[in-house]
Amino acid sequence: MNKTLKNAKKPACILLTVLLVTVFTLFLAVSSYGGEENSEDQLAFLSEPGVRIGVSNGSIQEYLVSKMFPEAELFYMEKFSGYEALSQGKIDAYVYDKKQMELAIKNGLKGVKLLDQTLGDPTKIALGISDISMIPDLEGEVNRFIGELKADGTLDDMYERWVINHDFEMPEIEEPVSVRCHLMVGTTGDVEPYSFYESNALTGYDIELMHRLAAYLEADLEFMTFDWDSIVNGLKSGKIDIIASNLQMSPERAEEITFSDILYLESNGVMVRDTESDGAGDNTVSKLLSSVKDSFEKTFIKEDRYKLFLSGILTTIFITVLSIILGTFFGFLIFMACRKGNRIANAFARIFDWFVQGIPTVVLLMILYYIVFAGIRIRGDYVAVMGFTMFYASIVYNMLKTGVGAVEKGQTEAAYALGYGDIHAFFRMILPQALPHFLPAYKAQVVALIKATAVVGYIAVLDLTKIGDIVRGRTYDAFFPLISVAVIYFILEWILTTVVKRIERSTDPKMRSPEDILKRIMADD
Amino acid sequence: MIEIKHLRKEYGTLTPLEDVNVTINDGDVISVIGPSGTGKSTFIRCINLLEKPSSGQIIFNGVDITSKGYDIRKARRRIGMVFQSFNLFGHMTVIENIMAAPVDLLGSGKKDAYNKGMELLSRVGLSDKALSYPDELSGGQKQRVAIARTLCMDPEVILMDEPTSALDPTMVSEVQNVIRELSKSGRTMLIVTHEMNFARSISNRVFYMDKGGIYEEGTPDEIFLYPSKELTRRFIHRLKVFETEITSESTSHSAFEEGLNHYLLINDILPSMQYRIQLALEELVWGILLPRYRDPDINISVEYSVDDALCRIAVIYKGEAFDFRESDNRLSLSLLSSIANNIEYSCNKEIEENRVVFTVS
Repeated sequence: MNKTLKNAKKPACILLTVLLVTVFTLFLAVSSYGGEENSEDQLAFLSEPGVRIGVSNGSIQEYLVSKMFPEAELFYMEKFSGYEALSQGKIDAYVYDKKQMELAIKNGLKGVKLLDQTLGDPTKIALGISDISMIPDLEGEVNRFIGELKADGTLDDMYERWVINHDFEMPEIEEPVSVRCHLMVGTTGDVEPYSFYESNALTGYDIELMHRLAAYLEADLEFMTFDWDSIVNGLKSGKIDIIASNLQMSPERAEEITFSDILYLESNGVMVRDTESDGAGDNTVSKLLSSVKDSFEKTFIKEDRYKLFLSGILTTIFITVLSIILGTFFGFLIFMACRKGNRIANAFARIFDWFVQGIPTVVLLMILYYIVFAGIRIRGDYVAVMGFTMFYASIVYNMLKTGVGAVEKGQTEAAYALGYGDIHAFFRMILPQALPHFLPAYKAQVVALIKATAVVGYIAVLDLTKIGDIVRGRTYDAFFPLISVAVIYFILEWILTTVVKRIERSTDPKMRSPEDILKRIMADD
Repeated sequence: MIEIKHLRKEYGTLTPLEDVNVTINDGDVISVIGPSGTGKSTFIRCINLLEKPSSGQIIFNGVDITSKGYDIRKARRRIGMVFQSFNLFGHMTVIENIMAAPVDLLGSGKKDAYNKGMELLSRVGLSDKALSYPDELSGGQKQRVAIARTLCMDPEVILMDEPTSALDPTMVSEVQNVIRELSKSGRTMLIVTHEMNFARSISNRVFYMDKGGIYEEGTPDEIFLYPSKELTRRFIHRLKVFETEITSESTSHSAFEEGLNHYLLINDILPSMQYRIQLALEELVWGILLPRYRDPDINISVEYSVDDALCRIAVIYKGEAFDFRESDNRLSLSLLSSIANNIEYSCNKEIEENRVVFTVS
């Protein structure tokens, strides 16, 4: 009975599937074919229930899409992952700043196309201004400055050069002769042509604008690169005076921060998958090789991007190595204070341990940067070192506790009975025997730490991962920069573990040769 | 050389040492014996303050080392210690174990320390193991190295805390031989040990510890041949004792039987002997004495000697003089006389106490 029912259902299912596929194919064919003639239908598919639309979190586009297409399923993504998700068919459409999308396609983004029709009203773009800046009446100054530029046509000229013509030549802007104040500008460096990296330096419309503003204010200009997720925090906590990064005046942001007068309007483009120019068909080896070579060229050679990678690597190493050294030192210090059961020290260690181990490191870093050091202009990498030092200290403290705990009590007693003092016995007899118990774990934690540092982009540090993102933002190529970053991490991990292995071997007394031991014994002092 | 006054050590509710007073003379070789849990180790570990005494004084060469502010490291450098679990430093070779303390603490030159260490190693028969690590040695070898390590500090006193207890039986003698040699060198030594024959042969004084202190002390002959106190005697002869009372209030036969059976069982007494002990007491107490006394007050003590596999039973009953052999319970009497040897009866008429002693084998 059951079986017949099932059998009867089967053909119906197949039929339905075939029908659906046909309809879908037809629909795709129509939508990709009839682009120009049928312009009013271009956006119709967005209204269908369940259509997958990618937007940036907190953007105007998100607001628009959720208003206009309530049936759609929203996917929140960063710009680059949006392009990738679209070309791989994970989303059906991607709504974003049209000018940037045009540039991406011009720069070789494949497998996608931009619809002519735009979505909703154009988006207003302005600067974000800090309410707690040290510069007096910053808002008024900035708006007067914008007014002047608008009046003499400079603003239009800038827009023409950077955004329309893609003329990426930064004009000479004279530095102020005398410096009246310090202007700290937050930017993301990932919105070409407004704020992006070229040859290891920030450039773009917003960057030029800030140089002009600095000249206007007679200020000493400094840039700080943030993630989109944290740039508003940076402004609110007083780390920066101004956000200049193609900042949309979204209603949500307007509640949080003060905007300057409008700089320009930007329309919202819709990008869909381009099924025709799918490059999947021609995958010969020579093609692959040339595309790898091309990617390498784009990722490392063009605009000297390897310099960016080098500075990222140095930052990652700086944070990791310094955190390991300081963390080991402080972890050791905490352990020594707690060793004899001192109640205050132990209570402190417990709370410290609970606090540091209990929250994700990225949250710890953000608490340090945006709350503890709010209003204090401290470099992000120093805060990162501080955060990871705390993190590592708690790990080292725990490792020492278990390692030393694994050494028999009799060893201490024997040393005491011979007349050793407490500290002397610890360093001469106990610690050397505890080392083999925790060095393997220590080694693993070194690797874990390098990987953990990848989150420092949240506090405006340009580490290896962040540099990978920035380069990805310029090359519109997901694969190569990501793989490169992964490989570089592997190499860094290999180097650091080799160093620790060296230490491990040199501290293992059983690795010494008998001749060595004798030589050491007989060496008279 | 060491004077111990009113030494007391408490751990929470436990007080292994209540009040120890003793003087250790230069050149003494003292064996510390006693049942487990009587504070022997605690006592010896208090001498170099590995255990901090709760109260009391320890005077070493005229200096009170328990006084506040005294740097105990100074005394410890002159008081060597050998542990039950050897406690050789695992990250150092044998020779480094021996040299470490003299070089680190006494400022000896490395060459001198090495030469001295090698000499000591050959004395304990292990010069070929100088560059081995402790975990490559057998237990007996480890303990000999530990003794050499202690000797390298040239201590005035050596404390040994059950030096052979953690060893395989086959390795006990090699360590004992080293200690025996050492005991002839005139150095002051205190050894906690369970090896009675060894203790007797090497020491000039023996401390028997029990009841929270040094319960009895004397020369080996005094302690081992003629112990004057009851607990000492029981310990030396390895007597296992069962004591119970039967009075008018507690004449329960089953309770008595249960207690006796438990005692017989835990002391590994042969089943045939168990049966004879049970039968003898049954006939004497329930067959003869209880029918006779209306208001009984009987004290039974059973002492089993592990060494002799012999059981000595004493039954003391209060009341009018009555030689049980005159009982008219012929059956019980004949059964008893077939089991019991060396039966003795005595009576103290003044306190109305009858005493029967016999042995069962």
